[in-house]
Amino acid sequence: MAVCIAVIAKENYPLYIRSVPTQNELKFHYTVHTSLDVVEEKISAVGKAMADQRELYLGLLYPTEDYKVYGYVTNSKVKFVIVVDSSNTSLRDNEIRSMFRKLHNSFTDVMCNPFYNPGDTIQSKAFDGMVSAMMVQAS
Amino acid sequence: MSVPDYMQCAEDHQTVLVVVQPVGIVPEDQFFRIYKRIASVAQVSIRDSQRNLYIRYRHHYLPENNDWGDFQTHRKVVGLICVTTCGSGKEWPQTSERFHGQKEVFGATLYDSRLLVFGLQGEIAEQQRTDVAFYPSYDDCPDVEKKVEDFVESIFIVLESKRLDRATDKSGDKIPLLCVPFEKKDFVGLDTDSRHYKKRCQGRMRKHVGDLCLQAGMLQDALVHYHMAVELLRSVNDFLWLGAALEGLCSASVIFHYPGGTAGKAAGRNPSAAQGQAADAGKRHRPGAQEVLIDPGALTTNGISADTSSEIGRAKNCLSPEDIIEKYKEAISYYGKYKNAGVIELEACVKAVRVLAIQKRAMEASEFLQNAVYINLGQLSEEEKIQRYSILSELYYLIGFHRKSAFFKRVAAMQCVAPTIPEPGWRACYKLLLETLPGYSLSLDPKDFSKGAHRGWAAVQMRLLHELVYASRRMGNPGLSVRHLSFLLQTMLDFLSDQEKKEVTQSLENYTSKCPGGMEVITLPDGLRLHPVPFTKLPIVRSVKLLDLPVSLRPHKQKGLMENSMSTKSPFIYSPIIMHNRGEERNKKIDFQWVQGDVCEVQLMVYNPMPFELRVENMGLLTSGVEFESLPAALSLPAESGLYPVTLVGVPRTAGNITVNGYHTSVFGVTSDCLLDSLTSVRTSGCLVEVIPSLPRLQLSTSLPRSAHPLQPSKEELSSSVSVQLFNGETQQLTITLENIGSEDLETLEITSKISNTKERLFGEFLSWRPGGGCLTPASEARPVWSPSLSTSSQTGLLWRREPAPGPDDDGISVTGLPISSPLRQVLKPRAETRPPGSESSKTDYNHVKMLEAVMTFKYSGGAGKVEGYYRDLTLGLHVDVEPSVFFTRVSTLPATSTRQCHLLLDVFNSTEHELTVSAQNNQDLVLHASECQRMAIQVDKFDFDTLPQPDQETVRYTSLKLLEEERLHAQASMINSTLGITWDIPSVRRKGEASVEGVLNQLVLDHLQLAPLQWDVMVNGKPCDCDIIADCKVGDAVPLEVKLTNRSKNTVGPFALTVVPFQDYQNGVQNYDLQDAVTFIGSNTFYIDTVNPSEESLCLGALLFLYSGDFYLNIKFQDDSVGKEPGAGQGKELPLSWFGLPSIHIRAQEAPMEAGA
Repeated sequence: MAVCIAVIAKENYPLYIRSVPTQNELKFHYTVHTSLDVVEEKISAVGKAMADQRELYLGLLYPTEDYKVYGYVTNSKVKFVIVVDSSNTSLRDNEIRSMFRKLHNSFTDVMCNPFYNPGDTIQSKAFDGMVSAMMVQAS
Repeated sequence: MSVPDYMQCAEDHQTVLVVVQPVGIVPEDQFFRIYKRIASVAQVSIRDSQRNLYIRYRHHYLPENNDWGDFQTHRKVVGLICVTTCGSGKEWPQTSERFHGQKEVFGATLYDSRLLVFGLQGEIAEQQRTDVAFYPSYDDCPDVEKKVEDFVESIFIVLESKRLDRATDKSGDKIPLLCVPFEKKDFVGLDTDSRHYKKRCQGRMRKHVGDLCLQAGMLQDALVHYHMAVELLRSVNDFLWLGAALEGLCSASVIFHYPGGTAGKAAGRNPSAAQGQAADAGKRHRPGAQEVLIDPGALTTNGISADTSSEIGRAKNCLSPEDIIEKYKEAISYYGKYKNAGVIELEACVKAVRVLAIQKRAMEASEFLQNAVYINLGQLSEEEKIQRYSILSELYYLIGFHRKSAFFKRVAAMQCVAPTIPEPGWRACYKLLLETLPGYSLSLDPKDFSKGAHRGWAAVQMRLLHELVYASRRMGNPGLSVRHLSFLLQTMLDFLSDQEKKEVTQSLENYTSKCPGGMEVITLPDGLRLHPVPFTKLPIVRSVKLLDLPVSLRPHKQKGLMENSMSTKSPFIYSPIIMHNRGEERNKKIDFQWVQGDVCEVQLMVYNPMPFELRVENMGLLTSGVEFESLPAALSLPAESGLYPVTLVGVPRTAGNITVNGYHTSVFGVTSDCLLDSLTSVRTSGCLVEVIPSLPRLQLSTSLPRSAHPLQPSKEELSSSVSVQLFNGETQQLTITLENIGSEDLETLEITSKISNTKERLFGEFLSWRPGGGCLTPASEARPVWSPSLSTSSQTGLLWRREPAPGPDDDGISVTGLPISSPLRQVLKPRAETRPPGSESSKTDYNHVKMLEAVMTFKYSGGAGKVEGYYRDLTLGLHVDVEPSVFFTRVSTLPATSTRQCHLLLDVFNSTEHELTVSAQNNQDLVLHASECQRMAIQVDKFDFDTLPQPDQETVRYTSLKLLEEERLHAQASMINSTLGITWDIPSVRRKGEASVEGVLNQLVLDHLQLAPLQWDVMVNGKPCDCDIIADCKVGDAVPLEVKLTNRSKNTVGPFALTVVPFQDYQNGVQNYDLQDAVTFIGSNTFYIDTVNPSEESLCLGALLFLYSGDFYLNIKFQDDSVGKEPGAGQGKELPLSWFGLPSIHIRAQEAPMEAGA
């Protein structure tokens, strides 16, 4: 389903980034990195209006030729970015949403780990497994 | 039209395009000077009306773009200014020709043209021509601006007339169809009479008039015309022109809403013009607005809008900011339908983005940009690609998408050096790459990375750094690439894989072989400063510790000169509140001193994070405060080493306070200065230490080998120690050589010694020393050697204490002693049993090895340090393993024949494994086999212990009684020892030594050995008589007998009565006392001695007459008369019997050779 999943800290550095075609990982780094511009823009635009009941799901950040980039921001300003293949037209918005929700739940589990220092890169196997599951679904 | 003008913005729609071109040979710099002056006339207010005309100048314009002039009139070149140099009148016709040729290029659209001729003088220059201006030189042309203004005005007149002309065209005449170049062939053979066609013509014309109105400064009219054009064109589905009309509408609205302009910093391309624009920004809009407000009639008089102005109000005509974007979107979507209008579409996108940037609607702007990215303009040249990416980057920056901006800038940079380009522009690439740095939140200052772990897009940043390195290398600036590569290595170390680490370091080494990296700041031509990158992670330093000097070199402060060092800041002696401040700790002064001229050490704990061996060269200290000569070290750290201690050394050359600020290294050819202040992870216990003036330095060497193991009680550190193994009683000479290896004169030297383990009693002189000569103040040049010699004799001989013998087992060897060194054992074996000699268990007991330790201290000073009150200690530890040699298992005395002598019986036990010879003074040798015990008898003179020096009153008062007693015993024993002079000799190992009886002596033995305080001397015939001496006398002669008493005790003794009893010993156990007829006394046989005061003598005389010859003995019996008689004088107690050891006298009476006749 997803080709790249990234978790980005509040300070906009990656906590976790993983992509399926590993040979061109850097490309996804660039994609996710630049998508942060849009995320920031969206947060600043929406954040003012209704800080409380802000929708966490940011929707499509931007489409590229080959990929679609979706964003999601937790209340603690941790960003999730999912990149999906543009050719995969079967994917609905709702499915993306549910992916983000799953990601968020798993991330919460990671944060609950008393041995995890917030701000460190995520090395949790459970989280990794969940991400893999989301990616594998595609193929 | 293939080349888009990315700099366009919405307000360009109201400008007229003037091309300024050089004709003939014009120096470039001169041309641009003139161009700048011309371009400064960007806005002209027209006389007699309050309208403004805006001019866009280009020095280069493609004629094919000019063909789109009808579509959007601001693309039309309406004015031409040619600049030329003309040296003489002869050249003039040619120049003029060229000018005309140039006019031809844009001929169809030009309203007017001018030629500026420089350098021409004479009659040709005199003639008045409106289209040509003559100037003598480029420097002498004061009225260029004026000329340009006139020119602009003339353009305005043409423009205004055209506008009016076109506006009135509606009168049912045939309106020409305006079209863009690629449309022309489409309309061939079209029915020109159809209503559809007419509408199309009308709509297009309306749009065109709108453009003209906008250019002529009539914003409101333009809006009206655009609206009408939109309606007309929409009805005929003329999408391209509908798009243009919509865009025109947008442009007009933007001009209305944003009089400040939307170009933003892009206008910086034309700085002087931009300034002019900014200055006029305020009034730029107002004139037009005023016009509308004040003079609405002006609109109607223009004739075109009689039908429009009345119905559409100003506010309605103008689009709202939201609508502008909507209309832009629509326009762009229409443009998108035409492949040939790509440039128009792209430019429209750019314009819309600029508007959105002003409106701060980044999201929508990004959508426009996203669209712009996908507009295909066909085959673009590399340069155009670069331009396109740069402008995209710029626009993204404008809307605040810094990351995206950086991305495109990087793409542009890569485009600069695309493999298809024959001459890659590495310089440009590098410059563009540098500009991307902020977008990737990467700062090239390593200080920004020192705070904690690096957090960022490491993969992306690393890539960028690699590209920077590569670009700078290709630029031919290896210094830069070294700097970038060092930066990469330093900051991204945690993210590099092992393989990458290897590669990076290898290439770094390659680069540094050409250009070593240093610590200087590299300043780039554009002002960017590249700070030096110290390799604080290669190796990683964990702690820095200043080391004290070695014990022997440590300076000490003289006690007397010690100033009050207890400089407590707080009134409390102890406070639990300790200020834990790192910085303070770092500046804390360490409580030891370094000495000027001596090698000082700093220990760093380092480790190598690299997966390969790290060679660190030239590692040294960075200090401040005093002159410091750092002695760099080179080290090689194994791969992924653990903490590894590294000692950096240096020599302070002056005195004062020194601060260790950091260290410098050279790794992979890059030298770096790492300051501790910037290294937060380094633990240190202070970096400030005092350097005191220089002191002499002594080197100590001994004749004995150095001991490997330190002394047992390592309370104090020793500069050196020697160890020796000795047999009990052996004496070892130790020569200590002191050499002054320092640069200062030795002025004082003080030697003390101390025996360290005082728990056990030690007998005999353990350590004695005497200086072996040499002067104490050696001159430094000669560095003389002064060597006292020490003799170490170990006398632990008294491991065995004699116990009261339970029975007369004289012949057996009774091991009755216990090692006093182990009191525990004493408890375990409370009673010594008689053991057979040589039994295993006893042997082990004998072989108990003792250790003795002593410390000699040499305290010396000199030079400048002495003035300051410092001295140094050199300590030498002596470690002696004492093996048992001979023991005296039992001591007893036997009285000798003489009262002044006695026999000392010693049971000597050889506890060594060698055959041993024991000899005493004037006694024959005794050979003892291993573990053999023999008795040895020595005849000794009794001792007069009173002659031993008495402790003075002072010491008596302050020492305990027990100590005094011990002292006394010791003195006595040593006296006995020296008299006895018992030595042993092991011939097999050539070792010899003394044996001491100290410790085995008990009071009884001592009493026996002591000379009685009362000394009796008996003289027979005036000759002293003692036990073994036989006094000769003649029968019949009176033998004078003299008894002398010398009182050596402290008290008065006496009076005494002595009775002389003669007897004969038959040598068979029978003694005959009945000698009344053989011996007769002349006078009394009883002597009375009066009271004798201390150290006085008393003499009594008597005489004997032997009647027969024979051997007689005289027994002097003693009666103490003092008791009870004179209580005052007596001591109230009996004097010990031993004091009255009078010798028995042996007299041999012989017949006189001449018999007296009876």
